[in-house]
Amino acid sequence: MKAGIEAINIYCGSAVLDVKELAVARNLNMERFENLMMKEKTVPMPYEDPISNGVNAAKPIIDNLSEEEKGKIDMIITCTESGIDFGKSMSTYMHHYLGLSRNCRLFELKNACYSGTAGFQMAVNFILSQAAPGRKALVICTDIMRTNIVEDSLDFSFAEPSTGSGAVAILVSDNPTVFQVDKGANGYYGYEVMDTCRPVPDAEAGDADKSLLSYLDCCENSFKEYQNRVEGADYETTFDYLAFHTPFGGMVKGAHRTNMRKLKKAKPDYIEADFQKRVTPSLLYCQRVGNIMGATAHLALLSAIENGNYDRTKRVGVFSYGSGCCSEFYSGLVSPQAQESLKKYGISNHLQDRYKMSMSDYESTFHVNGKLKFGTKNFKVDREEFPEPYAHVKGKNKLVFSEIKDFHRKYEFV
Amino acid sequence: MKQKVVSIIKENLLEIIPALENEELSLDDTFVDLGANSLDRGELITMTLERLESESSRVEFVGAQTINELADMIVEKG
Repeated sequence: MKAGIEAINIYCGSAVLDVKELAVARNLNMERFENLMMKEKTVPMPYEDPISNGVNAAKPIIDNLSEEEKGKIDMIITCTESGIDFGKSMSTYMHHYLGLSRNCRLFELKNACYSGTAGFQMAVNFILSQAAPGRKALVICTDIMRTNIVEDSLDFSFAEPSTGSGAVAILVSDNPTVFQVDKGANGYYGYEVMDTCRPVPDAEAGDADKSLLSYLDCCENSFKEYQNRVEGADYETTFDYLAFHTPFGGMVKGAHRTNMRKLKKAKPDYIEADFQKRVTPSLLYCQRVGNIMGATAHLALLSAIENGNYDRTKRVGVFSYGSGCCSEFYSGLVSPQAQESLKKYGISNHLQDRYKMSMSDYESTFHVNGKLKFGTKNFKVDREEFPEPYAHVKGKNKLVFSEIKDFHRKYEFV
Repeated sequence: MKQKVVSIIKENLLEIIPALENEELSLDDTFVDLGANSLDRGELITMTLERLESESSRVEFVGAQTINELADMIVEKG
């Protein structure tokens, strides 16, 4: 019995900012900024929200299925910390715009950046349970952070260049062409900690240092639990590639360095070479999008799959961390066919095709972001306010967010 | 005990930031002033706990700003 990823695609917006320009404009210490290892961030446009991003990530996957296969999707799990309603799940909107069968479970999951892994593992277990043989689950990880004011707090000054916007859609089934999970190879580790959170809508709070230490604690302990459950597992030799939740590239580099030193007693030069070989492929997409929270671990996994060398079937180790906190280390196999099956989605081209904003373009989005807060009852999106990025969407059959009317969100394919 | 912890912290700090080799390290300089970013501080805590064979979680030592503060916390929490 196999289970895992049959198809995976992303949508990471239509506008992007070079974060080096941002760092200069904000007078950040450039040495510290370089340690972030980030290059670009997706800037959310007013006509994009977590729902339209999710649909745009999933639609190419759905369009590629036959009617019969579409009818086999038994659930849509939305994984997010950017929900738009305390009660109604975003899955209901996405289900509608994807045109799926009404015999389908619709719900939303949360645990900060761990949400994507929580949803993915629930979907995998649904397939492995054989409760509904031959059926599929659609997991949509989608998160967004709209900047509307720039905080003076030093703690969060480095959050602005590393926070992104986007979605990853994953079709989970018993035909895991892209990533076949290692059944039962899961180490989890969680406990209550107040590191970073969203205690009020539309803003983050917390302690960045504590979050970093908690990430390191979890990375080590979830892997140790993985080792307890997988006989003979070795941090260095078991995994050809590693894909970690990437709040920023430097965090992953730091965690990998710590693991290699602690678990393998490796020396700095050796660790650096190993990082370049086994970890760098997973960072390439994350460095161009920014942290998309619940969707980041799978963006890293996708990046490792698309940018690695799979001349034979190889194993990828995945680490997911969500503040609060919960974490998991798991793994799966990627065959030489995986890259070919993903080509049709043109993922690298999508990242390349985003409109490159200037600092003033970027800051001109703040006022409208301020009007799109959680709980907005009525709002009409002016799509033409940002004509250059909109030109990257129009005519491409993308879903855009157009209106909120009595709290009900409206979308259109353009 | 504290003396031993202090010297381990100092040794680790020099390993992480070799440029401090010829500097006079004050126990009350903040890690930030000594040029340690948040990743360096995380690594410093990790290496120090490792050398002391402590099983404590790293998060327990959040907020330690100086060598003195970190040493006190480690002595207190083990």
